Order: sequence, then structure tokens, then C-alpha cells
Amino acid sequence: MTDIRVESSYAPRAGAQHLLEVKDLFVEFHTRDGVARVINGVSYHLDPGETLAVLGESGSGKSVTAQAIMGILDMPPAKIPSGQILYKGEDLLAMPEEKRRQVRGKEIAMIFQDALSALNPVFPVGWQISETLRTRAGMSKKDATRRAIELMDQVKIPAAKARVKDYPHQFSGGMRQRVMIAMALAMDPKVLIADEPTTALDVTVQAQIMDLLADLRRDLNMGLILITHDLGVVADVADRIAVMYAGRIIEHADVHSLYKSPAHPYTQGLLDSIPRLDSKGTELATIKGLPPNLLRPPTGCAFHPRCPYVKSVCTTSTPRSLDLGHGRTSACHFAKEMLDGTLR
Amino acid sequence: MFRYLVRRLLQMILVFLGTTFIVFALMFAGGEGDPIQNLAGEKPVSAAQRAQLTEKFHLDDGFFERYWYYLKDLVTGNLGESLTGRDISTMILDAFPATAKLATIAILVTIVFGVTAGVIAGIRRGSIFDNSTLVLTLVIIGIPTVVLAPLGQLLFGVKFPIFPATANNPPTWYELILPGIVLGLLSVATAMRLTRASVAENLRADFVRTAKSKGMPGRRVIGVHVLRNSLIPIVTFIGVELGSLMGGAIITERVFNISGIGNLLYKNLNLGDAPVVIGTVSVLVIVFLIANLIVDLLYAVLDPRIRYE
Repeated sequence: MTDIRVESSYAPRAGAQHLLEVKDLFVEFHTRDGVARVINGVSYHLDPGETLAVLGESGSGKSVTAQAIMGILDMPPAKIPSGQILYKGEDLLAMPEEKRRQVRGKEIAMIFQDALSALNPVFPVGWQISETLRTRAGMSKKDATRRAIELMDQVKIPAAKARVKDYPHQFSGGMRQRVMIAMALAMDPKVLIADEPTTALDVTVQAQIMDLLADLRRDLNMGLILITHDLGVVADVADRIAVMYAGRIIEHADVHSLYKSPAHPYTQGLLDSIPRLDSKGTELATIKGLPPNLLRPPTGCAFHPRCPYVKSVCTTSTPRSLDLGHGRTSACHFAKEMLDGTLR
Repeated sequence: MFRYLVRRLLQMILVFLGTTFIVFALMFAGGEGDPIQNLAGEKPVSAAQRAQLTEKFHLDDGFFERYWYYLKDLVTGNLGESLTGRDISTMILDAFPATAKLATIAILVTIVFGVTAGVIAGIRRGSIFDNSTLVLTLVIIGIPTVVLAPLGQLLFGVKFPIFPATANNPPTWYELILPGIVLGLLSVATAMRLTRASVAENLRADFVRTAKSKGMPGRRVIGVHVLRNSLIPIVTFIGVELGSLMGGAIITERVFNISGIGNLLYKNLNLGDAPVVIGTVSVLVIVFLIANLIVDLLYAVLDPRIRYE
């Protein structure tokens, strides 16, 4: 067996209970055309003050996993046949709905991609930020508004006091996302899930929002799950990265190791497709082909039709998640060869 | 906002002039027959009386001259006299409360049944409730008031006399319940389908997902977040409907013998009393225009994204 030499800045704490742990989660959608198995045994975990980036293309199941954690999947058509989502050791999926609802927003909060449609157009932003405080924390209207202004200050919205009565459409895209974040922070959640929080924003604003999220995570010691399809966005912020493909986590590693030496051909493809200054003038590398149709997934490894290294075993046998040590895993038959650089 | 209001009021004047002109022209073109003889019935009319009435109502003058007289009176708030010599303003004022009450009941019926059923159907799309109300509304929409009104009267006024079959003058609220329901049923069907579509659409909206992820209970998600957004098209519909209900009351008031605006219009159309018909229609037009203006202004209140310049 080849020796794996990867530096790791992250060492998993053995035996300790994680703040949030997704265990072997399966989600399927029952549609008219058949059953789409969108999540096929996803496991990941999160500790306080830590950022986990969940990376993947559209349809890879990264958002669905997050929605399953939040309990906001529409069931039906979605169904969770098996799996566990442990928050502080308690299985959210086994909880009665009323207890589950108490967790939402208060323990685990979520922000969404398009803040314009995610905010209610007919209520002032202050009203929306303070809604949980008024209805769940029993604050008076006045106190709740004051707290809403504080939260808006905290997410660095200028002139918060003057803008608390403004409506979502009166804000710019970046400011709207800040409103979303302020709203998510209202109940002091321990976990914040950010579902592509910067996708709809300008590049400069993207960086500001990412910085804000990183600051808030550190200051409030929250666990942050950052869902994105943009490898460039997560490099500075994330501690660990889970790469998803066709409803599976195909690689999981600390940021440093993953960028330095990807252990899955798909991750490598993603890294190669990041535009670089020194690649100016040359054609940008892409991953050929399209993400698989989850109603009729390919046999064997779901990535094999697009994999540049595909071997015959890949078409017949689904690779299990391989432990590569230091908390690294890869679901590729040839993960070790990938790391050695001997895979051709 | 102020500029918008001024512009709308100016537009209203134009619309008002246009509609009254058309009504005036139609009454004129329809041929009045001999209104003086109509008035007297079988009795002969003396030449002196005829000359006096002709002079008084400008019956010998041309169309535009008569329209001009009418407008001149209207500006001073004077709707003139009927051929029978009664003050038209008084006639309308006498008839108005009954119609207003009737319309109020119809609107309440629309809101209580239409909107409630629409919300439930919108939440439970594809359920038995949804499908049965869908069929029911189709049936109701398919039946014209001319059929629905006598049918309702026969069923609930005569066969099972839960409600009075006809109304006194002036009618009591109780006497107006059955006609109000009949009048409201048509808009119930439309209101229900509109609400259903709007609720169903808003339930899929991203902000509903946000409200859920904030840990809001389902009651509040629907009752506050969804309904507040669905209200926008519903209020528009009900406002416009209020205007058409005033007109739609003609048949219902006739069937249940309610002395309202509709009945007044019907009777005088038959008599060929052009001044009354034109006066009544003018008032209906004004009511309709004001209802529309209020709806448009409410729109800006309900939807903060709308600003009037």
C-alpha cells in the first residue's frame, strides 16, 4: 500500500459528539416519471466555529441535504427512506414536528441564494428580521425593532435605523443578502447554513458577503455550512470541503489537502476548470458531459461517463467511500493512485 | 402620489363624459317612441299639455343640444326631473340604500365563502375538497342569474321558506340575505378560483420556504406570509366586482322585488323615461369609477413595490 503524504490542518476529534452530524442520509423524489434518488447515503458533520463547504454542480444534492437538515423539504414529493440527522446528539428526523420547528431558526438557521425572492416583498425588512423575536422570543414590538436595528448594524448595513422600515426591493442585492443574514442571526443559531449565498451577486459584493460570514462565524462561534458550486469562493473561508456528485459525497478533505492534491477525478476536474491568470489565452478546461439523470443513474460509479481515467471496473461497481486518513475520504476506486499521481 | 390622483381624477371625468354620451346616444337612437303618450297610457293628451311637456324636456331639440342641457344640469349636481315630474336625484337616493345593502351582503358572501374556500383549495390542491369545489364553481359560473335568482327564490323562499321570497320597501337586512347570496354566488365562484390560484402560487414562493426555515408555525406561514401576498389580486377583484354588482343587481332586484337602483333602472327603461335611465346610469358609472380608483390606491398600500408617480 502506498504511503499517503498529505498535510492536514484539520484533525478530527475522535469520539467527541459533533454539533451537527448527518449520517447515511437518503432522500428520494417521487415524480410522475419515477423515483429520483437525489441523496444516496450522505454523511458529514460540523463542529462549533467551523466552516464546512459543500461543493457540487446543480442537481448534485447539496441543497437538498441542507433542506433535509432544516426540515423544509416538501414531503411529498420528497421522501427520506433512511438516515439520521443528529443535532447535539438528537435525531432531528425522529422528532415530532412541533419540536423540530423549535430547532428551525433558533438552533439551525438558513440563508438562501436569491435574497430578493427569499424575502417577503410586502413586509418591511425590520419586520421580517424581528418576526422570530416577536413571535418566538416574546419580545415587545419596540424591543424587537431595536434588536433588528442592532442586527442590521452587525451585518454592516449602513444607516440601519433609517432603513429598518424599508422594503426588500429598496435594497441592493448585497444589502438584501445582509438582511437575510441578519434575519438568520436573530435567534442566535448555533448552525448557519448558507445555500449559495453569493451566487446572485457581483464578484466584489461576493467577497464582502463571504468575509462577513467568516467574521460572524468566528465572532459568534457558529458552525457554518457553506453550499456552493464555486471552488474559488470557498478557498479562503472553509475549513473542510465535501464535494458532492449525484447525491453522494465523493470527496471529503480539509481545504489545504484538497486544493493541493485532489483524491477524486471530479474534484480535479473542478479545480482545473477554475480560470487562472497564468492560463490566459488558453482554452479553459471543462468537465465533459452533463451531470447524470437521477431517474436513470449510470451503473457503477456515477461519474464514470465523464471520467477521463475511466476503467472497466468503474462501469460495474459503485466505489465505496475510502478512508485516506486525516479525515480524508474519496469515493473513487483509484483514490490512492490519484494521490500518488500514478493514475493515467 | 398627488399627481397620480389628479391625473386619475381628470381621466375619470373623460371616462364619465364618454360613457354618459354613449348612454345618451343609445337612448336617443333607440327611439323614444312617444314618451308623452307612454306616460299617459291610454288617455288622450291635450295639445297644450303636449306642448308644455315638449318644451320642458326639450323634446323638439336636436341631440347635441339636449346633451348640452343635460351636462349643464349635471355640473350643478342636478339630474333633472323624470317625465312624471319627480326629482331624479331623490329617486336615486331613495333606491340607493337597498342596492348598497344588497351589494354589501353579496360582497360578504364572496369574501366569506369564495376566499375561504379558495384558501383551503389552494393549500390542499388535488384533494376531494379542491375537486368538488372546482366542479361546483363551474356549475355556478355556468348558470346565469336569470335562472339562478328565480331558482333560489323557489327553493329557499317558497318550497323551504327559510327566507322571505320578496322584499318590502324599504327592505330589511334579513329580506336581503337570499337575494344577496344569489347575487354574490357568481363572484364567489370567481373569487374562489382566483384565491386558489394565488394561494397555490404563493405557497411555492421562496419567501414561504424562508418563513418555514425561521421556524414559523404553518398557521402563521399561511395566515400571514401567504395570505398577505394573495390579498393583492383578491382585493382588486372584489373592488371591481363591487362596481359590477351594482349593475348586476338589475335581475336580482327584479326577481325579489327589491326597490333598489336595478329595479329603478328596469322600470324606467320599460317606460322609456330617458332622463331617469340616463341619470341612474350616470350614478352607476360614478360608483364604478370611484370603486376602481379606490382599488388602484389600495394596490399601492397592499404592494409596497407599487409607487404612483
